[in-house]
Amino acid sequence: MFKKYLAVIVAFILIAVSLVILSQSLRRPGNPGVVKKLVFEVTAPVERVINSGVGSVSGAWKQYLFLVGLEEENRELRKKIAVLQGEVNYYREMSLEGSRLKKVLALEDSTIYPAIAARVVGNEGSSTFRTIMINKGSTDGVKEGLPVISPEGVVGRVIETSWNYSKILLVTDYNSNIDALVQGSRAQGILQGGGHRLLRLKYVQRTEEVKADEAVITSGLGGAFPKGLMLGTVVRADKKDPGLFQTIEVVTSVDFSKIEEVLVLQTEKD
Amino acid sequence: MAYYIALPFFTILLVVLQRTLLDLLFGGRIGVEVSLILVIYAGFHLDMVRGGVLAFLTGFLLDCVSGTITGLYTFAYVLIFLLSYLLSPRIYGERMLFIMGYAFLCVLLEGLFIFTVYWSVYGTDVSQGLLRTYLPQALVAGVLSPALFTLFNRLEATVHAGEAR
Repeated sequence: MFKKYLAVIVAFILIAVSLVILSQSLRRPGNPGVVKKLVFEVTAPVERVINSGVGSVSGAWKQYLFLVGLEEENRELRKKIAVLQGEVNYYREMSLEGSRLKKVLALEDSTIYPAIAARVVGNEGSSTFRTIMINKGSTDGVKEGLPVISPEGVVGRVIETSWNYSKILLVTDYNSNIDALVQGSRAQGILQGGGHRLLRLKYVQRTEEVKADEAVITSGLGGAFPKGLMLGTVVRADKKDPGLFQTIEVVTSVDFSKIEEVLVLQTEKD
Repeated sequence: MAYYIALPFFTILLVVLQRTLLDLLFGGRIGVEVSLILVIYAGFHLDMVRGGVLAFLTGFLLDCVSGTITGLYTFAYVLIFLLSYLLSPRIYGERMLFIMGYAFLCVLLEGLFIFTVYWSVYGTDVSQGLLRTYLPQALVAGVLSPALFTLFNRLEATVHAGEAR
């Protein structure tokens, strides 16, 4: 009797349990249970070993092709350029802000947040969900919601942490929405992920004049990201579509397929 | 019993390899969802308990390591397993063309389900992403599925031989 209905009972249990997990996750996002944390702890080292193995093989091949030393020098120079570009962007933003507010506000020291350096241990480029795993977790001070950056700009934010690893939601994920600002025109909007490097800057009024190649930065609104962090560059802005808002496409400043190290900003005040 | 002991290790390895080596092989552009083809295979070849646990575990692991909403892959995998299980007595699931077409449809179904959840929960229109991400993924899954079915068949035979001993 029991055996006759076993398949039906098992099917019912499987559907019910997966539905419970799904509804719990939708109701309380960013709250990984102990099981999920354990899965993180088990899979991340395996992934790191495989990635480092693959990385070292492909690295050796590249070094062979580009001659010893040249690759290393190139990488260093790229890093320096990225850092300098970040600095230029920062100073440009500070200068604009200063000239706009000099009569109203007393100049305050820019807030520098402590940062946690982390290595990317898992990065699946082809997945529907744009997430990466880093080798720092709650024991290192990483918490859900903290912004994650690289020298090129904003990478994303922490969505889940286990003890030694964390999952980062990239700005390119459909689920990512960041309050943003077009640096030149000061137009504000919400930068939404599009599954790949092209993002959409939504809710920018048609009256705003936004041009291609303008930098898009974090506005500081919403509280998750500090103001002035580089997000990307406008590639297209048009007002052809009917409605209140214009269509703006932004390409991210970070190339997520090549990301290796990131910084987690500790913006939360204890 | 050996099956249930080996299953977590096997699924972890499969998920990690899928995220690393296979992703690298296709240049991080097209996802190769071997795990979904395994779930389809389980629907046609395994009993409800074994296959169900395998589908649930594989989906849950994928949710843990790469998903942003836990339970999406789990639910999708369980549904695809049940669909395959229900179809298995009615259809001869060994024909190459059928396997290819069915795997292709299942990947599209999975994509449709995930994007429907995104649209209904977050109000995000991701229809363009559906075509860009899941159509090539479905094509690759369709092409690779007969070879993977053969591989899983051999693996299943090895597990059976091990359990018989």
